[in-house]
Amino acid sequence: MTHEEWLEKGEIYALGALDGQEQKEFEAHLRAGCAICEAYVRETRETLMLLHRTLTPLTPPASVKTRVLDVIDGEKVAPLIGKPRSTRRRWPIITGTLAAGIAGLVIGGLFYRVYYEPRHTVSMAVVNLLRDPATRDQPLYGTGPTPAARGRFLWNESGEGHIFVSNLPAAPEGKIYAVWTITKRSAPRFVGAVKTDTHGQGGLHINSPRSDQPVETFAVTLEPADTTAAPTGPMVLVSRPS
Amino acid sequence: MTAETASAAYLIQQVAQQDREAFSELYDRCSSLVFTLAIRMLKVRSDAEDLLQEVFVQVWRQASNYSADRGSPEAWIINIARSRAIDKIRSIRRMEKSFVLTGDPARAESSDNVESSAAESEVRLTMNSALASLPEAQRRVLELAYFDGLSQSEIAARLAEPLGTVKTRMRSGIQRLRDILGTKVA
Repeated sequence: MTHEEWLEKGEIYALGALDGQEQKEFEAHLRAGCAICEAYVRETRETLMLLHRTLTPLTPPASVKTRVLDVIDGEKVAPLIGKPRSTRRRWPIITGTLAAGIAGLVIGGLFYRVYYEPRHTVSMAVVNLLRDPATRDQPLYGTGPTPAARGRFLWNESGEGHIFVSNLPAAPEGKIYAVWTITKRSAPRFVGAVKTDTHGQGGLHINSPRSDQPVETFAVTLEPADTTAAPTGPMVLVSRPS
Repeated sequence: MTAETASAAYLIQQVAQQDREAFSELYDRCSSLVFTLAIRMLKVRSDAEDLLQEVFVQVWRQASNYSADRGSPEAWIINIARSRAIDKIRSIRRMEKSFVLTGDPARAESSDNVESSAAESEVRLTMNSALASLPEAQRRVLELAYFDGLSQSEIAARLAEPLGTVKTRMRSGIQRLRDILGTKVA
C-alpha cells in the first residue's frame, strides 16, 4: 500500500468512519509508529473540529459540574492543602457558568486564528511535501549514544523538508539536537534544531535555501546550544546506518 | 502555541497531578464545547449531560496520557467526547431503542445559548456558509459520520450508495473543507 493510500484512510479514520478490516489495518499501521499518518490524523481532526463552529454554543447546567466534582472528590488521594471544601464548592457555582461562557467566546474566537492556523499550515506543508513526487522519504537510524533512536526525513531539493524523530531522549540542559544536510562537496549545513518531548518524539519543518548540489546525507548531532556553524558533537541519527 | 492553548495544556498537566482547581478551570473552558457536541450527536439533553460528566471524569483519570505534541487540548478532549458519543449511539442502535430526534437540537436548546459576540457570530456564519457551499452529497456524508457516528459502511447502506462512492465523498468533503476554511476564515 502506498503512503498516499494510508493518508486517504487516515482522513476517514479521523472522521471516525473507518470500520472493519480497514480500521484494524490502519490502527496497526499507527501502532507501528507511522509519525506521518499520526500527524495527518491529528491535523484532520483539528480541521474537523471546525465543524463545531457551525453549532450554536450551549452552556451545560451547573449541576453537571457538581456531579463531576463529586466523582473526582471520591477518587482523589489527598485533599489540597489550604483549600477548604466550602470555598471549592462555592467557586464553581458562582462563576462556573460565567467562566464557561467567557471561555467559550475566547477559545472560539482565538482558536482558529492564533492556534489552529499555524499548526494547520505546518501539517499541510508536510502533506504537500508528500504529494510532490520529487520529495525523498529518507529513514534515519540511531547511532552513537542513541542506537534505538529512529527518524524520517522528508526532503525536497527546493530546500524544504520535515524531520520526524522518535526514541530520542530530550537533549540535556544547554544542548540541542542540530539537524544537518550534507552534500558531496560542501560543508554540512545547519538547517534547524529539533526538540523531543518526554516520549522521545519530535519534529521540525525546514525551509532552507536551495543547495547547488543534491543532499546526500542527513544527520542529527548533539551540540552546545550556541554552536551551529559546524557539527562538533556526537552523531545521534544519520540517514545511512553506520 | 497561544497563551490560551498553552494554558490549557498547562492545566491538563496540573490535572494529571490531581490538581482540583486546575481541573475546575479546565472544565469551565471546555465544557461548553463538549456539551454542544454532545447535544448535537445524542439529541437528548440528559444523555448529553451524562456524556459531559463521563468525558470530564475520563479527563481527570487520564490527564497524564495527554501530550501537547499530539494535538491541542481541546482536540484531545473532543476526541474523547466523540468516541464516547459514538459508542453510545451504536449501543442504542444495537439495542434498537428509540430516541427523540429533532431537526436542529442546537435551536431546540436555544434558551441555554451562550450570548455570542458579533465576531463569534460572524465566524459561525462564515463556517455555516462554508459548509453550505459543500456539495450536498459531500456534506451529507461528513455530517452522518461526524455528528451521527455512522461508519462508512453504515453510511453506504443508509444512502444505498457504493462504499467507494461514500469514501470518495468523505475525502473530497474534507479536502474541500480545508480549502474553503483556509481561504474564507484566515
